[in-house]
Amino acid sequence: MIEQEAKFCLRHVKAFVLGVPAFIWQFVFFYVPLFFLFIISITKSWNILGFGSITMANYWAMLAWAPVKIISASLLMAVMTTSICVVLAYPVVYFLCRYVGRLRSFMMFLLILPFWTNFLLHVYAWFMMLEKHGLVNNLLIKLGLISQPVSLLYSYLAIVIVMVHSYLPFMIFPLYSVMEKIDKQLLEASADLGATFWQTFFRVIFPLTLSGLMTGVVLVFVTSFAEFVIPELVGGDKFFFVGNLITHYFLVARNASAGAAFTIVSSLVVLGAISGIYAFVRSAMPGAMRGKKL
Amino acid sequence: MITDSSGGLRRFLLPLMTLFVYAFLYIPIAILIVFSFNDAVFPVHWNSFTLKWYKQLLHSPEIIQAWINSLIIAASSVSLSILMGLGLIYMSLFVPVRAVVRMSYLILVAPEIVLAVGLLSVLSYLSVPLGFGSLIVGHTLISLGFVIPILFDRFSELNPNIIEASLDLGATRWQTFRRILLPQMTPTIFAAALLVFTLSFDDFLISFFCTGGSVQTISLYIFAMIRSGVSPVLNALSTVIIVASSLLVFAFCLVRVKSRVF
Repeated sequence: MIEQEAKFCLRHVKAFVLGVPAFIWQFVFFYVPLFFLFIISITKSWNILGFGSITMANYWAMLAWAPVKIISASLLMAVMTTSICVVLAYPVVYFLCRYVGRLRSFMMFLLILPFWTNFLLHVYAWFMMLEKHGLVNNLLIKLGLISQPVSLLYSYLAIVIVMVHSYLPFMIFPLYSVMEKIDKQLLEASADLGATFWQTFFRVIFPLTLSGLMTGVVLVFVTSFAEFVIPELVGGDKFFFVGNLITHYFLVARNASAGAAFTIVSSLVVLGAISGIYAFVRSAMPGAMRGKKL
Repeated sequence: MITDSSGGLRRFLLPLMTLFVYAFLYIPIAILIVFSFNDAVFPVHWNSFTLKWYKQLLHSPEIIQAWINSLIIAASSVSLSILMGLGLIYMSLFVPVRAVVRMSYLILVAPEIVLAVGLLSVLSYLSVPLGFGSLIVGHTLISLGFVIPILFDRFSELNPNIIEASLDLGATRWQTFRRILLPQMTPTIFAAALLVFTLSFDDFLISFFCTGGSVQTISLYIFAMIRSGVSPVLNALSTVIIVASSLLVFAFCLVRVKSRVF
């Protein structure tokens, strides 16, 4: 009896030892650092010996023009990237689901592939295309649209193009996974009952794909809001976004307190923006999002 | 039938837009690959076919070291995260672990830069030297954010009656885990490992913040090269990576795992 109990105990210990690292790893390397960021954002000075006194100065500094401008610019960029991705993803996904039969899995493979390749390569591919002596400029000159090469690289347009290119798959996958499940008879019924294509789209397809769309919107919005690499490489030093400023605070200015405060403020902004989008969709289309959580 | 007014839309606009998206995604990549075989220092005009950039790739100790570093980091974070994920599944046979699974979702949705700066500030506060250790810690962390949801997604799909039957018939939980759970989950484990390997191999942000300049990964190398401008060696390197990635995706598609996270 005692022996059995001891064995039982031992088994629990084994399960505990095997299972707990997954918790500890997340807790120590993600949740503790998050809390730590908060702590250093409200202390004056900190080093290995301890923290200084509590201050809100880092947060007051966020009310200055520069941080506000950078957060707004990032929001605008995120909205733009997300909207373009939605507009591009819908027709492709609809076309694949309705009109492509045998080739569909191959065409989906082609859409999945960019997600699996190092995204710096996509940035580089566009870097080559948009360069002063790159292919887009050469093409435009050959077509006679311009006479001198224009600087396409290091522009706002270049950032938007590369962002959309990089994040389009994030919009396409979730949308595809819900579009695929729509019963085609529903669309036929809608057409039979006299609805036009656009009526069918807005009354049938759109509500049925809303959950996938929202997943895509969150993925694209959050990643493009905090993007650092793309503006850094194809935007030159002219455009500054949230990701760049965070990097600047931590790696260049070595001002971790201000960096932490800025990181927290921008995270709250993006969280607020996303909750705002969700609240809007919930109120505009009650029922469509029932039971769907973030 | 959809009415006439949409005929044009259906017949021309939809295929056209689909074509546009595929062209948008693939023309830059195609050009990138073509110019890796071009015999000119500036990959702008086509000159003649050559393989010399690939040879140069093989003879650059820097690039080879970066590959090796990336491989070590990716392999470590894959094995660590898969082992921890499986350990958690074993533990769930004893106690409910839903809270830990929920914890991992936040890692998945949080912007990677927040993960990176958080980790960086704690490590530098504790004066932990940055290098392989911190890179593996960070990569394993993002890997956990994918591995735990994927594994538990599959775990919840398994028939609970079979697990109960196994326990009823006298198998220990460990035997049930080894003989019943693991065989059924093998394809998912394989797919998750593949996904996480790619994620780690391609990761830039965590590496950028947590390397401390001591360890060069392939992504950091590419970033530095793009900064210094266009070079055909980079085209060759990109082509090699694209081909390798296509093979991996192909393997992933063969396994055909349905999971909510891609």
